[in-house]
Amino acid sequence: MNAITRIAREEWRLWMRSKIVIVAALIVAVLLIVTSVLTADRITAEQSQRLDQQIAAEKTFFSQPDRHPHRMVHYGHYAFRPPPPLAMFEPGVDAVTGQSIFLEGHRQNTAMFADNKAAADLGGFSALTPANLYQLLLPLLLIVLGNALFLRERESGTLAVMLAQGQTGVKLALGKAVALLMVIAIFMTPLIAIAIYSVNLGESMLAASALVAGYSVYLCIWGAIALAASIIIKQRAVSLGFLIFAWLFTAMIVPRFAINTSSAVIYAPGKIESDLIMLAEQRKLGDGHNAADPAFQQLQAQVLEQYGVEKIEDLPINWRGVVASNSEAELTQLLNRYSEERMTLEAKQSHMFDLFGLGSPSIAISSLSRTLAGTDLATHHRFLRESEALRFDFVQSLNKVHVERLSYADDINRNVDAASSMRARVNSDAWQVLDAFRFAPDSPQQRLGNAGLSLTILAIWLFMVGGVILLAAKRVKL
Amino acid sequence: MFRHMTREIRFLAKDRGALFWLLLAFTLSVIAVSFGVTEVREQRETIAALIKEDASDRANALKGQEEWGSAAYYAFHFTYAPPSDFAFAAMGQRDSSPWKHRIRMLALEGQIHEADTRNANFGLVGRFDFAFLIASVAPLLLILLLYDLRAAERTSRRHDLLVATAGYSLAIWFPRAFVRIAALTILLLLPLWSAALIEGTSLTITLQASGIAMAALLIWWIIVEWVNRIDASPSILLTSLIGLWLALAIIVPAISKAVIETNNPVPDGGEILLLQRETVNGAWDLPKDATMKPFIAQHPELRDYAKIDGPWAWKWYYAFQQVGDQKVAPLAQQYRKARLERDRQADLAAFLSPTSFAERAFEKLAGTDTRAMIVYEDAVRGFHSELRAFYYPLMFPEAQYNPALLNNLPNYVPPS
Repeated sequence: MNAITRIAREEWRLWMRSKIVIVAALIVAVLLIVTSVLTADRITAEQSQRLDQQIAAEKTFFSQPDRHPHRMVHYGHYAFRPPPPLAMFEPGVDAVTGQSIFLEGHRQNTAMFADNKAAADLGGFSALTPANLYQLLLPLLLIVLGNALFLRERESGTLAVMLAQGQTGVKLALGKAVALLMVIAIFMTPLIAIAIYSVNLGESMLAASALVAGYSVYLCIWGAIALAASIIIKQRAVSLGFLIFAWLFTAMIVPRFAINTSSAVIYAPGKIESDLIMLAEQRKLGDGHNAADPAFQQLQAQVLEQYGVEKIEDLPINWRGVVASNSEAELTQLLNRYSEERMTLEAKQSHMFDLFGLGSPSIAISSLSRTLAGTDLATHHRFLRESEALRFDFVQSLNKVHVERLSYADDINRNVDAASSMRARVNSDAWQVLDAFRFAPDSPQQRLGNAGLSLTILAIWLFMVGGVILLAAKRVKL
Repeated sequence: MFRHMTREIRFLAKDRGALFWLLLAFTLSVIAVSFGVTEVREQRETIAALIKEDASDRANALKGQEEWGSAAYYAFHFTYAPPSDFAFAAMGQRDSSPWKHRIRMLALEGQIHEADTRNANFGLVGRFDFAFLIASVAPLLLILLLYDLRAAERTSRRHDLLVATAGYSLAIWFPRAFVRIAALTILLLLPLWSAALIEGTSLTITLQASGIAMAALLIWWIIVEWVNRIDASPSILLTSLIGLWLALAIIVPAISKAVIETNNPVPDGGEILLLQRETVNGAWDLPKDATMKPFIAQHPELRDYAKIDGPWAWKWYYAFQQVGDQKVAPLAQQYRKARLERDRQADLAAFLSPTSFAERAFEKLAGTDTRAMIVYEDAVRGFHSELRAFYYPLMFPEAQYNPALLNNLPNYVPPS
């Protein structure tokens, strides 16, 4: 044990004497801290802003004047998704998807005004987040620190002396590993600080500590890769070259390659495309604005029979409201079928993308961190589903008001003159049908479950590289 | 000089490490370009299919209509920006901004901002296209090819001898580096040229693109050359070069982006929608004059037909749709302007980073930059006003509905 700590201490002493190591470590540290503070600041501001907007949207809806209920269906409502606390570490897909949706009758809108659309375009890498830095920059730092860990002893001839003194290769490797682990521990502090802060803001302990654990494993993988290269490769420049290549390949090439492949293999049509196909089908359902549409003949017969009357004018309820309500229900079924299809395809693409993690720990850690932070595609899909449920709910509640509180006679005569149009309104207390909408991330257990695949992949990586180190260290000879 | 070159080519042919990097560059370029060509074909097929679907859907929607107003209400029109013949090399903003819409004569501001969502992970991670390869990856390959040219000779203690024999130091290093860079450039560009031939890219664009690629590599060569003069071990040189790459390819662009975006705030998109919705929905409760007055201010030629009797008329409905757009116009204009201004400043900031510069230059050539997307949006706006110009003179004087006239509906022409 003593030998191991001594080896580790010696390594540290050497690092502290190297200008290039100190400069690199300082730069990374400063970048990490600045980015973390800026991102945390931005996300907390956004969080309270979105919540305020949600509350304001509800207030505006409630304060609408007396109207024809169908006007309120078109007036619509908004759903906002405030970023979860851990988004200050990993903002995830929010910048791409947009975070608010306009909800109205007969339509499923997309989340609009994604930040990316208006972003200044400076090339593929230009957004810095703490998560990005951990995924991209820290492995490079570990490579710079670790590429010559073992080699150095070989080059300076001290390896022979140590082996002659009875040290084993494994012990030596352990000592070097301890030195790198301490570096990793130090560079985990910003993430740990963010995690603690997020717990303070209401994030669960489980998710925050899983995130910390995930990144520790990820950094250990890179430390281990660097250590393994320094044991196996005999020349310093070759070892560094190999490690840079490994980084270039796993951090930059494989993820984008995986994106291209999964989009080429699984074709998911864009919304405008699938909407067009859907519209053709929708025309068969009939237009809910037009109660005379032949598509509603059967419904009419059914409702007349139910109430035992001959004409729709004799119904105790408003026939136009019945049509609106029925066609909304059928249309929503259709809309949901298409949107579910689209989301399923996208989820399949994402799953395929995640599997590429076997070829790149960067993919595994980025999926893991989005999932644990609650800023992944699956959470966005849940937001879409929940806001759709909210939409359907308030539209149907308004249609119910239309059926029950507005007489058919007033309704069909609404366009005769100004007075009749005033009669075709209902009191604004009817607008209280809207439910409060507060989007919350999945439960931490759920998120941890979703991150299972990425977590397993990371564990496999660590296990494999660890095995390589052990094998190589056992074989160390002169 | 020729003798030097042939000698260096012979050397290169035996350098396994260098050959590996070159082969990798070629493979990556083939992959990037083939992905690009496939994607562009897919987009073209989608557009062709949608044009057909759209026409039949519109015919179907117009069947049985009895009023101009309802015809305009139910007929959607497909608009799109086709990928250029060079888009395969740089998908650029086509991944984050929509390049197709279906619009109708309702308020445009409620339609034009709709996102054509695709898998959000795509936008997040980005695509492996040629522009990314040449701007971000190629410099790293170049660094890996060149970093130990001198240092390797230094470590094997031949450096001073070599320089002394050659007479002047350039005679050794220049041909050696030149041969490697020439090989790298050609291997990267060959797939691009083949794809350009297949896609029918114009010669000027292909030449310009090649020029940009060469210029980007040349800049990185100069940087490497400058660092390599330092008398240090190869691993220190490589570390410093990677540090420079990080600074120029990642950190400088990120800081520029952050600064530009903070200095040029765009209006919150939500505000545009909110105002639009309040105006359009609010109109139902307002006296008709409140809508028709601002409408007539824009369309004085329709003054005689702007009197609305009774609670409902299609022309009043479309008038308040347009008034909604008018009301939002300053905000929308501000949004457009801020995007352009950000883009203009990004043009300047790109001079600080060869990576940003190359990527932006490729996007410009490919017509996939922000400006091209805004040109498309302008085309959609233009088409939407053509629709209004078509229907208003029929709808406002309440001309007899005549489906035959609908054959003259304006045709969307994509921007070229």
